[in-house]
Parts: sequence; C-alpha cells; structure tokens
Amino acid sequence: MDSIYKSLAEIVGEGYVSNQPEELFIYSYDLGTTEPHRPDYAVAPRTTEEVQEIVKLANKEKIPIAPLGGGLSLAGLAVPLRGGIALDLKRMDSIIEVNERARYVVVECGVSQGQLSSYLEKHHPNLRHSEPGAPPQATIAGNIAIHGQGDLAQPYGFNSDMVNGLEVVLPTGEVCKFGSCSISPNWFTLHPLPDLGLFLGWSGTTGIITKLSLKLYPSKKIKGVEQFVVEDEELVPEIVYKITHTEMADDIVAFSQAIPPMTSGLHHINILMTADSEKELEFKTGLFWDDILREYIRNGDGGFLNLSSAMKAGLTRRPQVSKASDWKKGGGFEYVGAIMPVETYPECYRRGVEISLRHDIPYTVLGRIIGRSHAMMFSWTYAFNRADPESIRQAREALHESDDLALELGGTIWKPGIYGQKLVMERMDPNTLKLMKKVKELLDPNGIMNPGNWEVS
Amino acid sequence: MDIVVAIKQVLDTSEAVDVVEIDASGKDIKKGALISRINDWDEYALEEAVQLKQKLGGTVTAVTVGPGEWDDTLRRALAMGADRAIRIDEDAAAMDSCVVARVLTALISRLSYDLIMFGAQSEDLGSGQLGPMVAEMLGIPHATLVVSLQVQEGEARVSRELEGGVLELYTLKLPALLTIQTGINRPRYVSFASIKKARDKELKVMSLGELGLSREALTPMVKLEKLELTPAGKRAELISGSAEEAAANLATILKNSGVILSG
Amino acid sequence: MVLADYKYKDIIHRCFRCGYCKFPTDWMDVNNCPAYARFRMESYSCGGRLWLIRAWLDGKIDWTDHLAQIVFSCVACKNCAEKCPLNFSDNIVDMITAAKSEMVERGSIPSAVKNFLENIQRQGNPYGDARIKRGEWVEGTGIKQYEGQEFLYYVGCVGSYDTRAKETAKTLGEVLLKAGVSFGVLGNEENCDGNEVNKLGEESLFQMLAEENIQKFKDLGVRKIVTLSPHSYNAIKNDYPKFDGSFEVFHYTQLFQDLIKGGRLNVSGGLNARVTYHDPCFLGRWNKEYDAPREVLNAIPGIELAEMERNREATLCCGGGGGNFYTDFLGGSETNPARIRIREAYATGASAVAVACPNCMTMLEDAVKAEGLEEKLKIRDISEIVGEACLVKRD
Repeated sequence: MDSIYKSLAEIVGEGYVSNQPEELFIYSYDLGTTEPHRPDYAVAPRTTEEVQEIVKLANKEKIPIAPLGGGLSLAGLAVPLRGGIALDLKRMDSIIEVNERARYVVVECGVSQGQLSSYLEKHHPNLRHSEPGAPPQATIAGNIAIHGQGDLAQPYGFNSDMVNGLEVVLPTGEVCKFGSCSISPNWFTLHPLPDLGLFLGWSGTTGIITKLSLKLYPSKKIKGVEQFVVEDEELVPEIVYKITHTEMADDIVAFSQAIPPMTSGLHHINILMTADSEKELEFKTGLFWDDILREYIRNGDGGFLNLSSAMKAGLTRRPQVSKASDWKKGGGFEYVGAIMPVETYPECYRRGVEISLRHDIPYTVLGRIIGRSHAMMFSWTYAFNRADPESIRQAREALHESDDLALELGGTIWKPGIYGQKLVMERMDPNTLKLMKKVKELLDPNGIMNPGNWEVS
Repeated sequence: MDIVVAIKQVLDTSEAVDVVEIDASGKDIKKGALISRINDWDEYALEEAVQLKQKLGGTVTAVTVGPGEWDDTLRRALAMGADRAIRIDEDAAAMDSCVVARVLTALISRLSYDLIMFGAQSEDLGSGQLGPMVAEMLGIPHATLVVSLQVQEGEARVSRELEGGVLELYTLKLPALLTIQTGINRPRYVSFASIKKARDKELKVMSLGELGLSREALTPMVKLEKLELTPAGKRAELISGSAEEAAANLATILKNSGVILSG
Repeated sequence: MVLADYKYKDIIHRCFRCGYCKFPTDWMDVNNCPAYARFRMESYSCGGRLWLIRAWLDGKIDWTDHLAQIVFSCVACKNCAEKCPLNFSDNIVDMITAAKSEMVERGSIPSAVKNFLENIQRQGNPYGDARIKRGEWVEGTGIKQYEGQEFLYYVGCVGSYDTRAKETAKTLGEVLLKAGVSFGVLGNEENCDGNEVNKLGEESLFQMLAEENIQKFKDLGVRKIVTLSPHSYNAIKNDYPKFDGSFEVFHYTQLFQDLIKGGRLNVSGGLNARVTYHDPCFLGRWNKEYDAPREVLNAIPGIELAEMERNREATLCCGGGGGNFYTDFLGGSETNPARIRIREAYATGASAVAVACPNCMTMLEDAVKAEGLEEKLKIRDISEIVGEACLVKRD
C-alpha cells in the first residue's frame, strides 16, 4: 500500500486521510467556474503539530499542498492545481481566547465566521468582528489570508488589517509566531515588531496559517439600516464621500442589480449603523438624512427606500444569505472582486452592465466601501447553471473580461485566480516581482505550497 | 456462457434457535413459526453466476428438486438475475443425496451448460455431497469450496479454501462443476420491486416422468433414522472480578472446554 | 441508470456547496449534520453528498462501497433542509433518499443495509428476530389486544424487540392504562411501519408494508392511533395517506399533553430532577412538534427542564434515523453524533436526558456508556418520567 498514504494515516489517523475517488472528486472542485484538478490525498489535521508533520513529509517527498478553509474563495485558490495533498483545515476549530479588555480573539485556522459570530453573541455580546458577506462556513483565517473585507470595512479597513498576530507553519515545517505573541502570551498587537507580512495576500503559497488573533470591535445593541436610492450612478462616489465624512456609519455598500426588474438601473446605497440607544441611532440617522442626503432628496436625485421592519431585519441580519447562486436555477455563481478607487463606481457599473448583457447574465454589481472612501471592493457577479456547460463558459468569459476591466480602470483584482494573477504580474513593477520570487524561493525551496499560484516566471 | 445453478430452500433457524423443535415423526424439525429462505451457500453461487453472466454474457438457469413452496426461492433467484428457473416437483426430504443427484443429473443433461454451480453444502442437512455426485454422474471435472473464480477461454481458474487460510489454485477445463463457499462475493440485495418484476420470467415445473424417471426406480441408499437436539447444558458459572480479570478467566475456561482451539 | 432517469434530475445540480447545511439555526457549530460531524470530510456533508450523487448518475465517478457508505450515512435528520437558503431545500433529503433507491434497485448497498431490509422482508423487523416474539413485551402488563378500542397503540419494531426500549413500551402502556385510555395493541400481528425502509429508499417494500398495515387497520376498524415512536408517527401521518390510509395519529407526548390538561393524568408524584430534553428529528424537524413534550415535562413539579445549547430545530440528531440505529455507520469514534450529544447534555448539569423516541433511546444509551457517564447521566423516556410521576410502579 501507498507509503505516503500510510505516513499520512500515521500523522492524522486513518479516518482523516483519504485517497478514495469520492473525496478526491470533491476536493478537486472550487465552487465557481475554475476547472477541477484532482489531489492525490485529502487530509484533515487537528493540530499545528500534525500540520507540521504533513508539511515535512510533503517537503521530503516533494508533494504539493493546497490548504483549504471554507473553500469559498470562488477563484479556485484552494484547487490542487498540481495534485498532491488537499489539506482541509476545518477540524482545527477551537476558539482559544477572547480578551475583552484588549478586544481580541485568538482562533485556530479552521474556526468559521458563523461559529465566531455565534460565540461572541452568546458569550461576549459587547464584541463583534468584521463579518464578510460570505456564507458562515468561510473561515476567519481564509478570509484574512485573502485580504477580505467585512461589515466593519468602512470604519476599520480590510479584515487583514485587523490581525494582531499569526502562528504559521512554514513550507519547510517550522512554526513561527508573528506579533506580540512571539514575545509574550498576549496576542494584542502586530506592530511595531519588524514587518514580516509574508502570509497575507499570497494565496497560501508561502505557508499555512494555523492560528491568528483578530481585533474585535464594540458591538452595540441596536442595528439600524437606511437605503438611499439614486438613478444617476455619477452621484454615488460623492454621496459616499460625504457619508464617510460623518464617521458615523458602519458598513456602506452601493449596489445595483437587474433582478428584481424594478431595481434595474437604480443604485442602492445601503448604510448600516449601530447604536446603544434610540437617541444615538436617531442622531446618526439624522446626520445622514439632514446634513447630507437632504439636498439630493430636494433636487429629486434620490430618495430613501421605505424599509419595512422585516426588510430591515433581513438587511441587518448576520450572516447575510445570498441567493445569487440560484438565479439561473443553476447552483452556481462567481464574481470578480476588485479593489477600486470609489470614483470609478460609475464606469465599473456601466461596463459591468455591458459585459453582463453580452453574456446573457442578469447584471449584479456591488461596491463595499473600505476605509473613509479610501477604496471600495467592487464586484461583478455572474450566475451560471452547473448543468449547462455553455452557461459556465459564458460566465468564465465575463469574469475574465471583468478582470481585464478592473486593471484597465486603474484598480487591482482582489483574490485573483490564475487568470487575474497573471494580469497583475504582467503589470507589476519588475523589481517587486523579483522580490516576490526571492521571498517565495526562500520560504518554499521545494515549491510545494499551493503551486500554480503567483508563479513568477 | 450458459450457467446452471442448483439451489434449495431451507428453514431459517439462524435467529430462532430456541424455537426449533423436533416434529412428531422424529425425523424433521417443526416448521412452526420458522420462515423459509434460500440456502445461504446457494445465494453465493447464484450471485457468482449472475456476475459472470453480466461480465461475459450468456444465461443463468436456476434448478431445484423440491415442493411447491420452493418456488419462492426460485423467484428470488430470477430477481437476482437468473434468466429462467426449473423445479422438479418432488418432496426432496424423502430422498437422499444420491437420489437427488440422479434427478438433477437427468435434468441438467438436457440443458446446455458450460458451468454448473452448487452451494458447498446445505444449512439443514449439510452433507456437502450433491455437487461432487452430480459431477461424477455427468462425467465432468469438479472443484469444491471455491472462494474465487475466473473464467476465460474455455477454462475456469478457481481457488479452494483449505484449513489455516491456505489456498489451492486449480484450472479446470469447461464444462465443469463447482461448489461455492460463502464469502466468495457479496450477494446483491433483492428489492421488493425486482421480485415483482421477476414474475415475468420463466419458472417451469416438471415431473419425474418428464425426465424419464420414476419414484419407484429411485431407491435411497441412505436412510435417516432419527433427528434429535443436543441436550442443553445445565451449568452456569458467574465470572466476577475486574474487566481484565474476568476476561482472562473466561478465556481460560473457553480454552479448557475445547470451544476455542488454543494456538 | 443515467441522470436522465433520476427523479430529481432537474434540480440536483442546484446545490452551491455554500455549506449552510452543516450549521444549526444559530451557526454556533459547523457540525450539525450528523455524518459531517462524524467524519469531517466534505464528501459527508449534505452538499458534498449531492455533488457526489450527481457525479455518479452522470457517469463521472463509479459506484463503490465507499460511495454507498457516504450516501447511506445520511440519517435523514432534515437539518440540511431546515438550513438551506435556496428554493429547492424542501427536496434535499428526498434527493438523497432517491439516490439510495437507485442503489437499492441495483442491489448495490452496504451489507448492513441489506441485512436490515432482508430482515424486515422476512420477519417484519430489522433485527431478524422471530415474528412470534414481537408481542412478548406485553407480558405482565394487563395491556389488551386491539379489538375496536378507541386507540390503537402502535409500538414499532424498536419498542417491540430492543431490550431497553421494551421497558419504555411497557411503561407507556401502563401510563395509558392508569389514565383510563381505551386502547389495544396488535402484538404479534403488528408489522414494521416502514419509516426507515422508506428513508432507506426501498420504495416498493415500503409500499407493501404500508398497504398491508393500512388494510389491517381498516379491517380492525382503527381510527385513532397513538405511537411510541416518532418514526411510526411520521410514516403513518405523512406517508400512509398516499396509499389511501388516513388515520388520526398522535405521538404519545401529544396524548399525554391532552390527558394532563384534561386532568385524566395526575403527574404530581414527587420527582426531583434536572432534566434536559433531546428533540427527536421525526417529531421535531420533520413534524414541527417541539412543544408537547416540553409541556408534559414542565407539568411535573420538581422537574427542572434545562435546554441544551442546540435545541428544537437546531437539535443535533443522535444519528438514529435512516436505519442507522441498526447499521451504525456513524459509530466508532468520539465524534459519533450521539456521543457529541451526550457531552452536550452532560454540560447542562442535568442528571437525565429525556427522550421521546426509542431510536434516540438506543443511540444515547450506547453513547452514554461510551462516554463513561452511565452513572452520572441517565437516559429516560418521557413515558418513564411520567410513569414515575404518576406512580406507575416498575421494577
């Protein structure tokens, strides 16, 4: 019998390694349009030590490893492009510590968004984390590793900016700790220790994050939401700019979609805010209504959507439930997420509508504001029908065009798949590219960590 | 590949050991509440035959010598994948193995066959003789206790299971007869729907006369005198102590009683 | 069979693999699918199973034993259907059952499932025990044969044959006697209700069982049925009408609720215990009955009801459905959902877990022993708790 299989079974136990066709089939797929690639083994470790042993074995035998969290990147980042080991990290799901005073939580890499939200709600209701729009199965670690953004993006930035510390298994098997946790039991800060940001945004090609510490933020009792609707996309950037000036909003998302038909061509600016009292909520809402949006209402350029309490509950609920995958009754969708200047919203929207039309897909675009209008995550979403290869092809083409578009408009692609990575690398400063290559070779001399991604030629 | 499989129906005593009783004649057990089903070994033989047919093409014919109630088992054989079934309508309980062998031989010689399969033995009488007898009467080679089978180009390659896990490998020229050991395969589940569907397949009932035989001419050579139950033991011993102590104690008792062969 | 013949061919591709199906209603733990909790490989989640079924029917992967294990490891607890946000979620469990059907018709099913079904075909119960022993549990109880009484007390296979569950069957009968309910049992004439057969995909066998039972009930003039097991309740209530069998059927906790309210059952007997209640899937998620059992427990003074974190529609199934109380595909590890559930129950500080289903009883009894907690945490059927409270003496 396969000696590598035996070794893996010795590390994690027979029940948590498989080379059966069923597991290999499942772990070869991303949920989007990425072509499947079969791993040789699916392995589910429980501890950092087990991960180390697996990595050491992989190094010795020169077997690629593709680490997997919730598998919801929708860009194929966890697809084992060169075979090898699909490393399912979701068994490492302990919430290790919540420090209320310093407002942070230390979690293992497999803790899911839903699990953390629920845990905090039950045990630390004054604290919350920035929850991304992905289904609750997405992992905290996976999300920060791809520089995700959540519903606290506007005040506090990318989720990866909220990291206080990391424990990482290097591709050569050593464990490293980054941040204050490397010198003390506290996981409360990353800075000002020497910057070793080598593991975020690298699509798992430089090591495996096994633990992390995440900043938590105040959670207030009352959740409020307002939705301001305008017809003219050119108004969106300036409205957003003004709202961000108030520093009173939590999450600001501007979206437009073809379904339902009555919303097509309109732009909804969804503003989430929280408060500990009705007075606070009224004050914040008042700032938006009276100080900023009143002139647009007066000019007939926009209006507030009258949200019923059921709609409000739906919009403030965590996690958000997306039905985009079922729009073509097809079980699939994928999106290009790009980090764009907010001022590009109108052009992103118009070109997005055009691309969608050409590919016979109802358009869906969305811009989540990051920071004080410093940037936005703009997404073009394309639904497809898994049972119809032509619809998959159309979606894939539309996605590639959107990748091209993001760069054309001066932005960059968030969590790009292989296609997008190439586009980014083509444009990248050559010295930066050279440095990326050096770093990769230094950390991963045998090229086993998620190969096929970010490969600098 | 034309395959003939000889099967029989038995009373299922596996789960109801405590309700087995000897009947008034002293030579059989009471049917009572016991249900009937296919002889375990025969099920493996049937499954092997059907799998072979699915691989190589051809036909599977299930045959038996028995009373009307045994049609249930023949239907089950058809549901498993046999193409047709033939029953010689006789009370097999009144015959010895030699007589049944002669009847089966008379039937099978009228069929075309490349391979004949029997279960290695029956659950009720367990003589294990029927297969070898029929092979001798037909003048074809046979192998018993077959645990694996491959057929190619007019030959059957079989493994026979011996004591201690030793396997013998044989090649037999077809036509040949094999008696099949349990465990050779995993007999498929027969759904209720497939039993219903199998009612469309041919189940032929024949008499001895149609084979050119008569009951009078078939005298048994072996006579069953009596059937009795082994007396139940009247001793019970309570084994105490910790789990380890009790286990060690029990192991010793079992070894000493000869229930387990020590080695 | 090709995908084109599969009953759900038009919707099986619609699973996005978003993973909601793994969660309970409040997201607190990703492991609310019993098979996924046990194995933690994506292939065992509901979505993984659906993708594999589609791949198999589409010819992309072959049937293997392992595939059969994966498909039959679904215990039909309905957590996935509860959680799936997409419009086809009502059909999810049925899609898996239809795939089991496919395997059943081909005869390619795990041995344990084969034994289960063959035993029912032969002896009317999955254990393969003799039919003539089915009614033995009645001995010494004073419970009568059904001959036109108001209720048929339908026991089911587990309650009739499983040693521990038989005690429950007896106690329930005795409580009904004490409350003066007019009822009778079928004894050896009772046959399997077929719920598990149905969830295992053996459609024609289920139809045969249902039709025979319905005819028997009609011939005896049965109008009202009270069941020990939620599995029987589910089959008779939701599936028998398809075969022209409509009866007024109650799970016994619903009857208890009425009897207590109507003053016919006095549960004031001294009982002091902190108890937690485990919702059975076939009473809870399948039939939305979360309240009756709780009202019954709350009616007993001295019983303090402590809820587990995951309760009602968020309950973690004990893993006893889909025939798994017999086939035991989810056993052999501390991640066996029954053992996870016992640990959860123990964490409430309760001294007993109240169950309302003989399958849950079997699963949790085994699990509490595997966890080494049998001295600290008792598994008690609600009928037994009520029995103690209304002073029905049992030894």
